[in-house]
Amino acid sequence: MEEFEPTIVAFVCNWCTYTAADLAGTARMTQFPNVRLIRMMCTGMVDPKYVIKALLAGADAVLISGCHPGDCHYINGNYKARRRVKLLQEILTGFGIDTRRVKLTWVGASEGNEFAETVNHLVNEIRELGPIETRELMVV
Amino acid sequence: MKKTYGALVVGAGVGGIRAALDLAETGQSVALIDKKPNIGGILTQLDYQFPNDHCGMCKMLPLTERDGSSQFCMRKGLFHRNIDIMLSTEVTALEGEPGKFMVTLRKRSAFVDPNKCIGCGKCSEVCPVKVKSDFNAGLTKRSAIYLPVPHNIPNHYVVDLDNCLRCWQCYNACPTGAIDFKFEERQGFHILVADSDPKTFEDMKDWLQDQNFPLRHVFDGDAAVDALADQSRQVRILFLDMGLPGSDPEKVLRRGLELNPDLHVVLMAQPDQEQAARELAGQGAKDVLLKPFEPKRFVPWLDKLYMRMMSDETLDLDVGAVILAGGFECYDPGEVGDVLGYGREPAVVTSVEFERMCSGTGPSNAKLIRPGDNKPIKKIAWLQCVGSRDLKKKADYCSSVCCMISIKEALLAKKLTKGEAETTIFYMDMRTFGKEYERYRQNAEANDGVKFVNARIHSVVPADQTSGSKDIKVLYLDEAGRLQEEVFDLLVLAVGARPPVGTKELAEALGIETNEWGYCKTRYFTPSRTSAYGIFAAGSYNGPKDIAETLIQSGAAALEASRIITIYAPLTERTPEPQPEYRNVSRETPKILIALCTSCPILEQTVDMDSLVARLGGLASVAQVAKIGSACTKPGWEEIEALADKHSPNRILIGACQPYAYIPKLRELGQTIGLNPALMDVVDIFTPTAARQGEDKGAVEREVFSALSMASVRLLGADPTPLPPATQVTRKALVVGGGLAGMTAAMGIADHGYAVSLVEEQETLGGQAMNIRYTLNDEDPVKFMEDLIDSVQKHPNITVYKDARVVLSSGRAGRFTSVIATDQGAVSFDHGATVLATGGREANVYDYGFRVHKCVMTQRELEDQLASGALDTSALSGVAMIQCWRSRDEGRSYCSRVCCGQALKNLLMLKKRNPELPVYVFYRDIMTYGFAETYYTQARKAGAVFIRYDLKDKPKVEFEDKVPVITARDPILQREIQVRPSLLVLSGGIEPNEVSDLQEMFGVEVNADGFFQEAEYKWRPVDFLKQRLFMCGLARAPGNMSETIASAKAAAQRAVRILSEMRLTSGSVIAEVRHSLCSLCGKCISVCPYGARSLDLEQDMILVDELLCQGCGACAAVCPNSASLLRGFRDQQVLSVIDAALNGLNYGRARAAEPETATQTEGGES
Repeated sequence: MEEFEPTIVAFVCNWCTYTAADLAGTARMTQFPNVRLIRMMCTGMVDPKYVIKALLAGADAVLISGCHPGDCHYINGNYKARRRVKLLQEILTGFGIDTRRVKLTWVGASEGNEFAETVNHLVNEIRELGPIETRELMVV
Repeated sequence: MKKTYGALVVGAGVGGIRAALDLAETGQSVALIDKKPNIGGILTQLDYQFPNDHCGMCKMLPLTERDGSSQFCMRKGLFHRNIDIMLSTEVTALEGEPGKFMVTLRKRSAFVDPNKCIGCGKCSEVCPVKVKSDFNAGLTKRSAIYLPVPHNIPNHYVVDLDNCLRCWQCYNACPTGAIDFKFEERQGFHILVADSDPKTFEDMKDWLQDQNFPLRHVFDGDAAVDALADQSRQVRILFLDMGLPGSDPEKVLRRGLELNPDLHVVLMAQPDQEQAARELAGQGAKDVLLKPFEPKRFVPWLDKLYMRMMSDETLDLDVGAVILAGGFECYDPGEVGDVLGYGREPAVVTSVEFERMCSGTGPSNAKLIRPGDNKPIKKIAWLQCVGSRDLKKKADYCSSVCCMISIKEALLAKKLTKGEAETTIFYMDMRTFGKEYERYRQNAEANDGVKFVNARIHSVVPADQTSGSKDIKVLYLDEAGRLQEEVFDLLVLAVGARPPVGTKELAEALGIETNEWGYCKTRYFTPSRTSAYGIFAAGSYNGPKDIAETLIQSGAAALEASRIITIYAPLTERTPEPQPEYRNVSRETPKILIALCTSCPILEQTVDMDSLVARLGGLASVAQVAKIGSACTKPGWEEIEALADKHSPNRILIGACQPYAYIPKLRELGQTIGLNPALMDVVDIFTPTAARQGEDKGAVEREVFSALSMASVRLLGADPTPLPPATQVTRKALVVGGGLAGMTAAMGIADHGYAVSLVEEQETLGGQAMNIRYTLNDEDPVKFMEDLIDSVQKHPNITVYKDARVVLSSGRAGRFTSVIATDQGAVSFDHGATVLATGGREANVYDYGFRVHKCVMTQRELEDQLASGALDTSALSGVAMIQCWRSRDEGRSYCSRVCCGQALKNLLMLKKRNPELPVYVFYRDIMTYGFAETYYTQARKAGAVFIRYDLKDKPKVEFEDKVPVITARDPILQREIQVRPSLLVLSGGIEPNEVSDLQEMFGVEVNADGFFQEAEYKWRPVDFLKQRLFMCGLARAPGNMSETIASAKAAAQRAVRILSEMRLTSGSVIAEVRHSLCSLCGKCISVCPYGARSLDLEQDMILVDELLCQGCGACAAVCPNSASLLRGFRDQQVLSVIDAALNGLNYGRARAAEPETATQTEGGES
């Protein structure tokens, strides 16, 4: 069997992290190819069902990333995301999913390096964690 | 072809962008130019801004008709349907009059064809030139062919011809042939050498043989004239020797210019002929070259001259008005040699360099390490007022922004070092005069441990010369005059502002005046007007300002410009661009066209195109997959149009590079083929290929396929039903408050032809400004106010309600109804926009014997007595003034901003009348920001004594025989002093008026100090969070008359923007409700940050105000029934995108839940 390569779905906000990801891409900073970016307008619109869906459909981790606190284009969407992710992490723990598999970060538009680092760090972390063993628990 | 614009905006920093957007949003066409090759001005270099210490530029973007402009990070770029951006462009001449100016622009070429450049960077790699990077403030090097801002879109390389060596290596390295050095065209570029010495010509011919120029030679003046007259081989450059026999050089020059006014004449002179040549140069010759020539310098010089002549463009525009927004430059401490070790010690940097060091796109990837030895920085000092408030450097003004920048940088350093950094700010006065500034400073000091030291560093030496350490020791005198020294890792010089380079030349070209410091001159009561009618100053062009005030100034300039255009070239004369009509495809089955751009050779090298096309063709609803030439060029785009015509798809997906750059193009395509651009998308297929050249073809193909399939399913699920209809706007405005701000705003709106109702609580108009009797700069405020009141009362479009109040207001965006209670009864008024200008008042604190002793008065009362002559200054034995009397103190954490200026105004008046009169000013920080600093200098020269006090140790006031006795500690003398003046004058500061009724009525908020809370401190300074409501004047923040006028005009401009259109449309990303699923729980109403949702009790349904909704999707995420949804991001769209994303990534391992078929089924649901 091949070495485990994690698959990560990243929900990024249109204003900050998507720009940072684009910057990281165009500036050719090192990036792992196993991340799939999904652009959302705001982290505040990332419905928990999207995260669960991604984990169910085969993602080994989900990254949600948006503007820094106080900096949301939509005033407070990132705070909404923060509360939601906290709760979601607790619920997912009940299904045997490590909280590290749902990660929330703030990456501003000019922080392409920060985005690359976040992704690299997460990929390494999930490599160590291995695949999700308890996925079927979530299927009701 | 000559183009016509409503306005020309010179300078594309945030000030220029704001002015351009303000005008563009009212439907005016705008040409936005900048002499730099990028937009954004200095803000491109500053990533973090007070008060939330991050960026927020995107909040400047329009809130309605969002599809008309870019909807992404403004650091990437900007586009607006009414704005044409021209970079590397300068104004060279202006003629005409307001309403019809003829402007000549010069556009410097970048020598890189933007249609061919793919941004691969190969040119930059081979370039042998290394010069200091402007973007990184000189901390890194760049090549002569470079990206001006690495993250801008479109991201094309430009050639810096001044530093180019003309080695042509980049030309050979470019894979797409984008670099255009015009080699072939040289054959038609005739050069004539007129010199009796054959050697000159032989040398030139020899040196230039690779350059491909046709060279000709004549030996005397008459032959030269004949050669110049030969039209078939028109000479472009004439080398004219000063010692030419026959017709003398002057005649040849004159004849040559007659025959061809564009002839470039280069005079060749022996050293002894230089004087004569320079004189002749004044008659039309462009250059003087001294013999003998050096081939090493001559050949590149001629080559560059040719490049400029061939590639630079001259553009002529007709414009209605001109707005200047050139911003400011930062003072360069290196310009006069060694200032505090700058340039000598790597540990001494400027504030801009420090910003770059903190930036993720900076030299050290946001790691705080010292330039030179990469030592982690732990101990940092800031020194304020470097190049500002400095008579020796001819800068007797305050740069207004550096104090806040330094506090922000100190906090940034704390953040980047996780609180470890020790930060000390050495200052003269901490000028925290703006809204929320003082609180920010207090928090920095109290909560974050930033140290503030009132002292001036006088020298910087290496800390330890023997060890080779780059640490520095700073020496300063503390307030008591003791010599102190301290070792730091880094010293940041808070460099002041300077007028932008070229201001003088531009001022000459436009015929406007500059002030004594070289900034554009504006008058106190017309802060946005230059000395030439029809030309306006925006942003910090008339003096350094922070972002919020820059935007206010720009708004005011935009209003003035818009007024000029309305008066002299009314909008009605032009046919407005029709709203695009899209065909309704909601009843068609989805049919996707995928077009892949193959212009970049790397794609075909890294990906098996046939296999990719076949796989894409297998995706649900994909009708056609086509390869096209280059999507970014006109022929490529025509290919797409032809494909769209042929297959008539109802969804179009384009795989190309730099998707951001395609947004305006998609809009155009939508208009041409009648398809809503919301049903089109562009996916970046270049980045995955470029970053991973040489990797396994299959892996790269998976990446590209995945990106395209994700976008394809997203398009498949897009809602094809047409957008909600446009909202009708009531084209009238309500202005609450009849003071200076309210009246100015009302005039601004009414001058545009819209009806305004002005409601004033008092029986007279005028408000607080009526108390101002004279100003620091000898203007006449009394006459100004009388004239303003007169114009307001006579204005046919303004209805004034005095002794009246607004008692009720309701309605939706663009259509409000308010009820005004007057002494004649209630009046109902429909309006589309509202300006709240409820003003403020002088705060009175009954303390220090105020209202007990007659000799104690406020500054306003003193002004009154001085103006009326009631006060006999010769009878006074002394005057004491106490500043910050309960300002910037407990319960009032803000600076009232006007008191220091007011105190100086009265002080100078006292001194003018009685020069011998002793005046003592007890102050904490003198807030004479901007050009007011010069009056502080005058006051000190006049002999006034300024004594600083601390909040901990306030002056004590007692009274002996009704004479005030003020006891305070003098920090310089280090002892207690006592003053017994005959007058004690207190600066009470400004308090906002009580607005709780309006708060409830209009649903607006006030900040902790009672001033109106703006939507965003910096980026939307006169907007309320609730749209269509604007604020100005003292109700927004303390300010002098000039600042109040500027804010009122900015607010008026925002209102005009709403009223200028009959109908407003929303953006295509907008929230909707599926009423059949909605349980009316109301969660979406409370979660909406814009108040766009409401419960209609009559219909029993949740309504979305499509103009207020900004499409954040918070409501969709919170809805428990999935009844609330966001267009473009509906649940099934996002869920199928997730499936597509995971489908593409398959690393050869079994997944627990296999969603192979999910894409098909869920995608097909729509």
